[in-house]
Amino acid sequence: MTITLGVRRVGFWWYMAAGAALLVTFAAVGLFRGSVSLDPADVIAVLARHLLPGEHGPVDPRVDTIVWSLRAPRVVLAAMVGGCLALAGAQMQGLFRNPLASPGIVGTSTGAAVGAVFALTFGLAGAFLLAAPLFAVGGALLSLLIVTRIATRDGYTPVTTLLLAGVALNALLGAVNSWLIARSWEQYEAARQIAYWMMGGVTDRDWRYVGMLLPGMIVGCVVAAWFARDLDLLLEGEEVAASLGVDIERTKRAVLWSAAILTGSAVAVSGVVGFVGLVVPHLVRLLLGPVHRRLLPAAFLTGAWFVVGADLLARTLAAPKEVHLGVVTAFVGAPFFLYLLLRHEKEVAVSR
Amino acid sequence: MTAASGSARRAPRLELVGGGVERRGRWLLRGVDLVIEPSMLTSVVGPNGAGKSSLLRLLSGTWRLTEGQVLLGGFDLAALPRRQAARRVAYVPQSVRPAFEFTVREFVTLGRYPHESRLFGTRSADRGWIDRCLDDTDVLALADRRVTTLSGGELQRVLMARCLATEAEVLLLDEPTSNLDLAHGLDLLGLARRLAGDGRSVVLVLHDLNAAARFSDRVAVLDGGHLVAEGPPSEVLAPELVRRVFRVEAVALPGAASTVFDFEALG
Repeated sequence: MTITLGVRRVGFWWYMAAGAALLVTFAAVGLFRGSVSLDPADVIAVLARHLLPGEHGPVDPRVDTIVWSLRAPRVVLAAMVGGCLALAGAQMQGLFRNPLASPGIVGTSTGAAVGAVFALTFGLAGAFLLAAPLFAVGGALLSLLIVTRIATRDGYTPVTTLLLAGVALNALLGAVNSWLIARSWEQYEAARQIAYWMMGGVTDRDWRYVGMLLPGMIVGCVVAAWFARDLDLLLEGEEVAASLGVDIERTKRAVLWSAAILTGSAVAVSGVVGFVGLVVPHLVRLLLGPVHRRLLPAAFLTGAWFVVGADLLARTLAAPKEVHLGVVTAFVGAPFFLYLLLRHEKEVAVSR
Repeated sequence: MTAASGSARRAPRLELVGGGVERRGRWLLRGVDLVIEPSMLTSVVGPNGAGKSSLLRLLSGTWRLTEGQVLLGGFDLAALPRRQAARRVAYVPQSVRPAFEFTVREFVTLGRYPHESRLFGTRSADRGWIDRCLDDTDVLALADRRVTTLSGGELQRVLMARCLATEAEVLLLDEPTSNLDLAHGLDLLGLARRLAGDGRSVVLVLHDLNAAARFSDRVAVLDGGHLVAEGPPSEVLAPELVRRVFRVEAVALPGAASTVFDFEALG
């Protein structure tokens, strides 16, 4: 499959600088604007109080709560979730040598959803805050374990088998999810939480959620960076990669587990935010080329500003009510995805 | 010829001892004893399904042998760490068509993988080496092109450049000329010939017996998973063997510098 979209490459550092500028801009708008309008000077005073060392003047505790406890963690979490999903998507697209793969292609995001829904329906989430996120991460890792067990024969895991096993598990877990949701129908509060969660979002998330995502994000990023070069070689096929000295099976395992940790942790704190992990890495590859040493950090940064921007839309489109983040990303992502798909179809037709 | 080729060491002997490989209950290759002589161009010929590609996979270490051993300079290739083996033996599988839009330079740099450090990646010395490899295969002018836009002939040269980038002394190429027109095919064989002259061992799987006869120092003939003959082309490629193995009538044309056959279907 040849995807040639004739897009000119852009310089990596220019791209990163532009991405950083967008991220800062969106984050700033996210902090300064909201349902309550605040004096920018007060917002800056609050940020300075928390981020800069030394003595600071007194600030209005109400403003402090709104900026530091409500808006700031939400912005930070949105950036982290976007980064994790885009990074995991880039890894999966490399591993499967398919630019249309998504982070949850091996069943990890559906697994995470089942874990969280399980915790919510059985009232575990009400009992302690960490239950839903922990079950979500557990669900993601368990799904990957099942899929790799099914697909592995004699220590060898063919990616096509992995893909098919992932599709099957996705369908099965989707059914489990529906069943869990159906049986919680009478419990109004649980059903409402599940519905919110399935639509994805970072509404009302405080710093504890940032703390929950952080370890998974760090582990996932470190492993992803360590195996970035190996993914470059895998793009040329396993035979070529093996002949150049890549340990294929070790690379597959490392990439799968790091993507599962990233996806599971992101889904755990924000629910199902779709299309970020599919569209962002694809777009970045078009602009920067397939070398993962550049692609992976650029995808992370792009996912970060994209989701912070999408969350901004989610908050402001129908203010004072909120649109769900997952709805916004799907509305932006799905048409773009279709566009890529149709262009790809055209390319295939031309090259025949 | 250029600096890149001049610095190549003399290739080690690559040897297959009693080599056999079984896949899904079928022996693709069995009981093969073959020595790839240092600094020579060896052609592997044989009808479809004879085991030519399997032979190259075994020699490159990408497939594990079911029985027997591959020895590189007298040492077991399978015991060598994969990255070390990759620095000494380079392999290009049949009909590679790149799907991702690497530039030619990025693509050839993939060949540096066995030399790269995980933390620091490609060093500037590596970049100079890539330039020399591109120059040595006459693709320096294509350095910034996307590999997905190359013609068949250009791509084969770029694949050769990637082999050189590994600094391997043994190059194994599976049907490098199969998608090329006559001019590009001859051009590539000339390049392979030159690389062998520089002290590398080059092994090619070829279908064209006349090309094999003209360009190779040695010819290995496979049939049904067995090695049936090996030696200089003038001795090995006799009409009788061609008839037996390839099931065609071969008539040697008089007056040519190397053996040139005219082929006809068996009547």
